[in-house]
Amino acid sequence: MAAARRDPVAFEPLYRRYLAQVYSFAYYELGNHADAEDATERTFLQALAALERFEERARPEDGDGASTFRVWLFQIARNVVANQRRQVRRRSELPLDQAALVAGTADPAEIAVHRGEARAALEAVARLPGDRRRALLLRFVDQMSTAEIAGVLGRSEGAVRVLIHRALRSVARDLTEPGDAAR
Amino acid sequence: MTDPRSRDRQEVEALLTDAYLDSLLAARDRRAFDVPADPGLDPALRTAARRLEAELGRVHPSFRFEERLAAQLRRRALELSAGRPFGAAPREAAGALVVQIPAPPRPVAATVRRAPRSSPLAVARRIGRQPAAMLRFDGPVPRPVLIGGALTSAALSLAGAYIAWRRSRPSH
Repeated sequence: MAAARRDPVAFEPLYRRYLAQVYSFAYYELGNHADAEDATERTFLQALAALERFEERARPEDGDGASTFRVWLFQIARNVVANQRRQVRRRSELPLDQAALVAGTADPAEIAVHRGEARAALEAVARLPGDRRRALLLRFVDQMSTAEIAGVLGRSEGAVRVLIHRALRSVARDLTEPGDAAR
Repeated sequence: MTDPRSRDRQEVEALLTDAYLDSLLAARDRRAFDVPADPGLDPALRTAARRLEAELGRVHPSFRFEERLAAQLRRRALELSAGRPFGAAPREAAGALVVQIPAPPRPVAATVRRAPRSSPLAVARRIGRQPAAMLRFDGPVPRPVLIGGALTSAALSLAGAYIAWRRSRPSH
């Protein structure tokens, strides 16, 4: 990380390390590969441009090699993806309730063609409101800790725990009562 | 207003869920189906968590996309290292013919391929054939060479000399 800040050419190892994580987040949020590629590209280009402004917030007691770079990178990804989701909605001109299903009705569900259960789970996640959905994706897909998610979403750890708990409860309810929208 | 007791209960449930998710996700690498949970945790939440853990796998982009973006980032990184404003195109004189000539190879990174050693004429021909968006140099950032300005200047000088010569001749 320090090397990349001194010399942007050293950014490549960071890119290779976090590419699949950023891409996965974008993919589940946006629902197709083309939009996920766009969002991933923008995220890394913005990160490279803003690398000088990155401040390492990990403390020595956090352990050797601890870094807040991933949180910083995902703050960028979150904004890029949120903007793109708005564009996707506008482009597809779906009514709001349908637009919320965007991530569930496109490619991610196609991963599990003929697997109704997988589709139901993905759609249940896609129906969740903004930060609940993001928190759940960051927890399950990117395996982030509560503290990291708190950093990405700009909330307290307690708030993130409650957010994930509520999200999981909505999904559980949705899976046992199919057809019910998230509450 | 939320009842403080219900809020406390929710926070306790949230802590239990969090602890369960920590163990469940840590067990992913061991391919364990389930992990022990506090008896106070709602079984429906456990089931939902297990389903999401199974379905929300990491998705990898295509190799082609990965390498294309890597090359793009390398170019931008080199621009930044060279002190050029991020994303700024090289300055070009209005109306001038700009020919992109690859700079001599520099030892930047082991993975960066060196620029092809093409003659300016060959590069100009290639530019004429391809749209700008398709031009790619995977090596160091190309250096622009302005030719149009020099040609215009030479033409003006010749014209000036011709007019002076005509005026100096006696008219018939």
